Amino acid sequence: MNGDFLSLLSSNPFSGLTVGENCPQLLEATTVFAFHFSEGVVMAGDHRATAGNVVFSDRTEKIIELDNQSLIAIAGSPAVAFEMARTLQTTFEFYRRSQLQVLSLPAKVRALSRLLRDNLPGTLQGVGAVAPLFAGREPDGDSPPGIYYYDPLGAQFEAAGYAASGSGSGSIRSVLHYLTQWGNPRPEKRDRGEAINLANRLLLTAAQFDTATGGVDPSRQVFATIRLLTADGIHTVTEKEQAAAWKKGGAND
Amino acid sequence: MIEEPYRWLEAVANRREYIQDQLSGATPVFAVSRPEGVFLLGAGPGRSKVFEIYNRHGMAALGNPVDIEKLRQAVIETAHLEGFNRSADDVTLRRLVGFSISNSLKSAFEQIVAAPLIVEALFAECGATREEDLLVRVRFDGRPEYATDGVCLAFPDRDRERAAGEWLRGRLSDSDGLGRVRGLCLTAWSALVDGKEDFEALKVQEPLPSSLAKHGLESALIDRASPGPAQYRSLAEGEFQ
Repeated sequence: MNGDFLSLLSSNPFSGLTVGENCPQLLEATTVFAFHFSEGVVMAGDHRATAGNVVFSDRTEKIIELDNQSLIAIAGSPAVAFEMARTLQTTFEFYRRSQLQVLSLPAKVRALSRLLRDNLPGTLQGVGAVAPLFAGREPDGDSPPGIYYYDPLGAQFEAAGYAASGSGSGSIRSVLHYLTQWGNPRPEKRDRGEAINLANRLLLTAAQFDTATGGVDPSRQVFATIRLLTADGIHTVTEKEQAAAWKKGGAND
Repeated sequence: MIEEPYRWLEAVANRREYIQDQLSGATPVFAVSRPEGVFLLGAGPGRSKVFEIYNRHGMAALGNPVDIEKLRQAVIETAHLEGFNRSADDVTLRRLVGFSISNSLKSAFEQIVAAPLIVEALFAECGATREEDLLVRVRFDGRPEYATDGVCLAFPDRDRERAAGEWLRGRLSDSDGLGRVRGLCLTAWSALVDGKEDFEALKVQEPLPSSLAKHGLESALIDRASPGPAQYRSLAEGEFQ
């Protein structure tokens, strides 16, 4: 009766992830990031999931809408990460409907932290580690949205301007650090079109140095998964919108 | 007491009488299937009677507020567990009613040594088309009554509930806006609450009389055209213009 779906779930168990001795090569979802732009937060990711040196999928959606005020970007084991996203979606909606109010942003941030901590056995076995990003805003809509990143044990950190996770995140963090310090305009000053183009360029840069980052190729009209968290809620940037932005300035200037 | 059938029957009859007596002062709630979705209406000064249950499910209830809340929480828990363990599409009103709501209410009613649940409710499921909408009234003893004509209401007096329903069905048309639908429901609401017998003589209350505002009107739409999975939304006054 307290609106806590996780407590409800623990008394009505659903089969979890278990790992046998002869575990096959594990899947990994790679390279997601988020940064502030003039209207709010951009959260983006490539489409690739790998198993060792095998490209398992180039159509993976890693940026998931949890409710109309929060997003999660998954990096690490997709089996665990997708389940975490699904659990959070239900947790937030369950709380809103049962308690007749929206869960606060700090509570949402901690809910993900709790799921990561509960996944400690999988993390320690090296078979289910997840290092997600979270972006959210308070339900009142007055305060700006925040970006949060986590370590695989559940420690949470708020990012000042940007955060990245996954195998290609090193390149992306470097570029975003440079742009935050010396860019013109800086990422947080960029408008929507500029932010969309920056997201695609960052993934192309990461793919240059990381074979596990891929599934983005503007020359073939294949773009990143990009979602925007603004005062109006969440907007999924379509491939058509990304193509228009890329044509306008992404490829050249 | 259970070993003595006559005493058990007597206890159940007493219980039925007690619950009906407790419900007698309750105000009605309405659910109407419309082209734009399912419209829900209730009025309860200082407390809610119309609620969201799941993505395309809502409820409206009358009775003891604590018991309404118990029923609401139980249904929300069942729906979310089902949606999580299977999928949102597997959360259907027929299964919720058949395997959870009706059973729980019937058990509570027949547990003669425990306090009864003083509650009756309407449940609504919004389908992809109006023909797929499902409305059901569940009585305090768990008996479900599915509406076949897109109008469902709950009021403690069964005869007057039936008369109000017939009056409402005869006046609703597909071209009515939500303002007109609300006006018709509120006219029936007032007639039921004021004890009027002659429904044919009723005049539709448009615009809304200010005297009704004190009753804390609540209305919601399970919106068929909603872009997201959650289709339920409370309606603001401006949406009735």
